[in-house]
Amino acid sequence: MFRSSKKALHNPLPFIWQQISIQIQMRALSLFSFGLLVVQPAVFSAVGYLLARMAGKSTPDLVHVIIGGGIMGMWSSMVFTSFFDISNDRRSGTLELIVGSPTSLTTVLAVRTFANILTGMVSMLLSFFVVIVLFRFSIPLRNLPYIAISLLILFFGFWSVGLFLAHFRAASRVTGMFINYLELPVSILAAFMFPIEYLPRWVMWLSNSIPLRWGVTGLNSSFQVQPAFSTIWLDWAISIGISLIYLVVTHFLAQRVHDMIRITGELSSV
Amino acid sequence: MMKNLMGNIRLYFASAWYSYRALYAWQSFAPYISVKIAFPLAQMLLFLFMGRLAGLTDPLYIVIGNILLLPATNGVSGVSMTISGERDFRTLPYLIASPAPRGPLFLGRALVHIIDGLLSTIMAMLLGVLFFHVDLTHSNLFLTTLCILLLSLTSCGMGLILGSLSLRTREAWTITTMVVTAFYIFSGVNFPVDVLPKSLQVVSYSLPLTRGIQAARLAMDGAGWLTIQSLFIGELLTGMIYIGIGYLVFTWFEKLSLVDGQIETV
Repeated sequence: MFRSSKKALHNPLPFIWQQISIQIQMRALSLFSFGLLVVQPAVFSAVGYLLARMAGKSTPDLVHVIIGGGIMGMWSSMVFTSFFDISNDRRSGTLELIVGSPTSLTTVLAVRTFANILTGMVSMLLSFFVVIVLFRFSIPLRNLPYIAISLLILFFGFWSVGLFLAHFRAASRVTGMFINYLELPVSILAAFMFPIEYLPRWVMWLSNSIPLRWGVTGLNSSFQVQPAFSTIWLDWAISIGISLIYLVVTHFLAQRVHDMIRITGELSSV
Repeated sequence: MMKNLMGNIRLYFASAWYSYRALYAWQSFAPYISVKIAFPLAQMLLFLFMGRLAGLTDPLYIVIGNILLLPATNGVSGVSMTISGERDFRTLPYLIASPAPRGPLFLGRALVHIIDGLLSTIMAMLLGVLFFHVDLTHSNLFLTTLCILLLSLTSCGMGLILGSLSLRTREAWTITTMVVTAFYIFSGVNFPVDVLPKSLQVVSYSLPLTRGIQAARLAMDGAGWLTIQSLFIGELLTGMIYIGIGYLVFTWFEKLSLVDGQIETV
């Protein structure tokens, strides 16, 4: 008998599909997700709309108020789901099984975060639907490639931040308290619902360190009548660069989490 | 009868004391302060920037509105969380099984959230003065404080209704969060209620907080009792109606849960 020294090639697709399917089913039936993805962005956008009415305008700044609301919904959904996924596993006793499985925790979290972003897209798609159908906002065809690329880069930013937060949660139990205060401040620092220029100068260094801020700026510029490629590409490049930095930091965090789990045996402290 | 009354009063304050202990058991001092400072400030800033985008030049309407919403959200969320927390910690069946009268038991738990709401508002008011130049020099401070206390009290009714949902559903806290979010539209926090379409104004005036916030705004502008009395009394009545409904809903759900045994299963 001859046994090949080569390992059989592992097909990751069934695993990815299974994880995405479970994540989406969990979100689809959850009232909590409905609140984060639909109710909250709708309320914030409605406030923006009514504030514009109060100021005497018939239509608000649709990109910031409505699409910004969609981005905010996506952020809220991702920040809570990615951050608390690992806690839920711990509570339901599945964390030990995941850690014991041959697939690394980071891989599981990466696919889950991706699934959470896919779910979060509901909020974004709804905002586009409202803007185009209800407000009859027309997007020129020449803008579409810019918008598509900006959205992809924004989603990559969301994924890198989500993955970072999921590992951050794994590395420290106390971060659970801190997450509740992260949702709104990041929405402000990344200027989802207003122009970034409104932020005071002294806070810009913090804002600039968030890839979503650059992704959102790129997306907003893509909606302009004459999108200026000379500035948009810079937003894209910075967003990708900072996202990669987040991924590098996440890699080191993942090693720490791995040591906590398998070497020092601190699984229950996760 | 006297013994009964004293028993209820004792139960009211015992519930308030346990509620106080519970509030500070899950929140150590540092996160508590950040909830009191960071969260209201962030909320205020977001709406301020949105107001600026809309073209509003005077941010004070939004700042004051968000400060005045604090005691209300404290009342709604605090009372609702107190009841849904019983479910989360699996103590709800014991509570249901006890013969303690429900009124003093749950209203006592609301007391700490009323006081906490007042403290939160004072803290936010200081932030408003420091960062947003809220001018309190012409305010009728006594009436403003009275209005804030009123808001804390009347919001407890809504909290009681939402918390009662814990007896029938796991999603009571999620529903509470959604309702609190809806207050940003309906209670005149960020814009006057008359900006809303007529049909939504009806919804707005059928909720607690709307009149109370209007009364508090007037008191902060220096108005006297005669100016705010109709709003104040209207808010008080609305709040009492909601507390009454909350009590009825709780006892109704309690009976239903005992009949079909679904306290822990739903």
